[in-house]
Amino acid sequence: MIVDAHVHIGKSTRLQINVDGAQLVRVADELGFDKICCTDLTALFYDMHEGNALLAEEMKRFPDRILGYASLHSTRFGQEATDELDRCVNDYGMRGLKIYSTPDMSIAEPSTIPILEKCVELDIPILAHTTPQECEYLLGAVPQAKLIMAHAGGQPFAKGDWNRAIMSAKRFENLYLDTATSTIDLGFVEACVAELGASKIIFGTDTPLLDPWTQWTKIRESRLPKQDLDLILGGNILRLMKVPA
Amino acid sequence: MIIDMNAYIGKWPFWPVRASSASEVAGDLDGWRIDAAAICSTRCIFVNCADGNRETAMAAEQQPGQFFPFASLGPGDAFPSEKFYGVRLYPQHHSYHPLFEPETDRIISGAMERKWPVLLPLRLIMNWGMPMQELGVINALVERHPQATWILAGINYLHELQLAVHLMKRFETVHVETSCIMGYDAIAKTVDQCGSRQLLFGSGAPVQHGGAGVAKIAHAKISDAARESIIHVNAERLLGLSNG
Repeated sequence: MIVDAHVHIGKSTRLQINVDGAQLVRVADELGFDKICCTDLTALFYDMHEGNALLAEEMKRFPDRILGYASLHSTRFGQEATDELDRCVNDYGMRGLKIYSTPDMSIAEPSTIPILEKCVELDIPILAHTTPQECEYLLGAVPQAKLIMAHAGGQPFAKGDWNRAIMSAKRFENLYLDTATSTIDLGFVEACVAELGASKIIFGTDTPLLDPWTQWTKIRESRLPKQDLDLILGGNILRLMKVPA
Repeated sequence: MIIDMNAYIGKWPFWPVRASSASEVAGDLDGWRIDAAAICSTRCIFVNCADGNRETAMAAEQQPGQFFPFASLGPGDAFPSEKFYGVRLYPQHHSYHPLFEPETDRIISGAMERKWPVLLPLRLIMNWGMPMQELGVINALVERHPQATWILAGINYLHELQLAVHLMKRFETVHVETSCIMGYDAIAKTVDQCGSRQLLFGSGAPVQHGGAGVAKIAHAKISDAARESIIHVNAERLLGLSNG
């Protein structure tokens, strides 16, 4: 079972993306991925209600292939955001939360705390586009939250510093690293496993922003034993999302 | 046949890498089925060009037919006497401005006399913690020396590719290597816009994962002929290995 834990669906002007579930499932088929975990771009960058509803429709179209992350375009919507999260999990059947941070609009602030507490209550993981320092702030406030650092530092706001991401994940038991990175440094995956163990590493591609073949190859060609690869390539995210393998 | 136009030997100062010597890098490249590589020692980037160029030349002697040495030169550096196939400029690592440092023109003119391609990186590898070259500077430098054979390296984002495509369309002397192109369908879209004759496979190995670099070309939705051009035909032409 291979699960891509980091996929985007929908439309974005900034990212120049317009992609639906059928297209993403076709890409997954080409790569041999069994399931893809999607976050809707409208929900992430414009309107959470509209975007999450669109994703719910795609999940209905591909119930065996698409797992959903609820997405919030901001953590500053208070009760409206936690209510939306509740609806996404209990009505739509979504299995996680996706949130996004930038240096100028960081989610490492008090408004995010009740969101994380709601995720603990719902027992869902949070895929967070964040820096290691932001993760440390968030898990310092809510250590029970299961936080997946999207890109493991391999994104511009974190300067590509995956070594720093590993240091953070060593400090926090519930901090996981997503392998979808714009960097393709040799030894990245092996270093993550050596320092953290395979149970904290989660495979993702960031399709359709990044080339999935590049992301897939760096894991497939890593020098890791099969039992570690099984965890990274699906076991870990399915466990966190409580989805049977 | 796969030829990598942007590989390195030498130490990496920022985090451990498993290969740095000529034989270690050659072993990694073999593992990725990369048959040959244009190399330069990272000593040229971080320590001293003359010392690094000697190291590069020695590595090429150790791996004949597999390593094609590129020199790196900065202001005040003499052209080396050993056999080289091109030159790499690293202004952002050598603390000079390539438009206002007169030595830049001497180096580029010297490369043209020797029929060497000039590799100019926007970034060393795909990472945001290291200095970058400005796009406008690259554009101006190419416009100043349109007859030089250029290899633009370290291109990643869409707006960077837009400049590269713009320059490739204007000047057939301009080429782009692929080590930092990570975007979805980016290779196919670039080929759609300007063909494959000016694209070169580059890995950024051994700091970057050469196998992942190969995969993005191998699975790109392009014709087999375009793929062959990118992975070796164009490189053979630039290295003087064919009449192409």
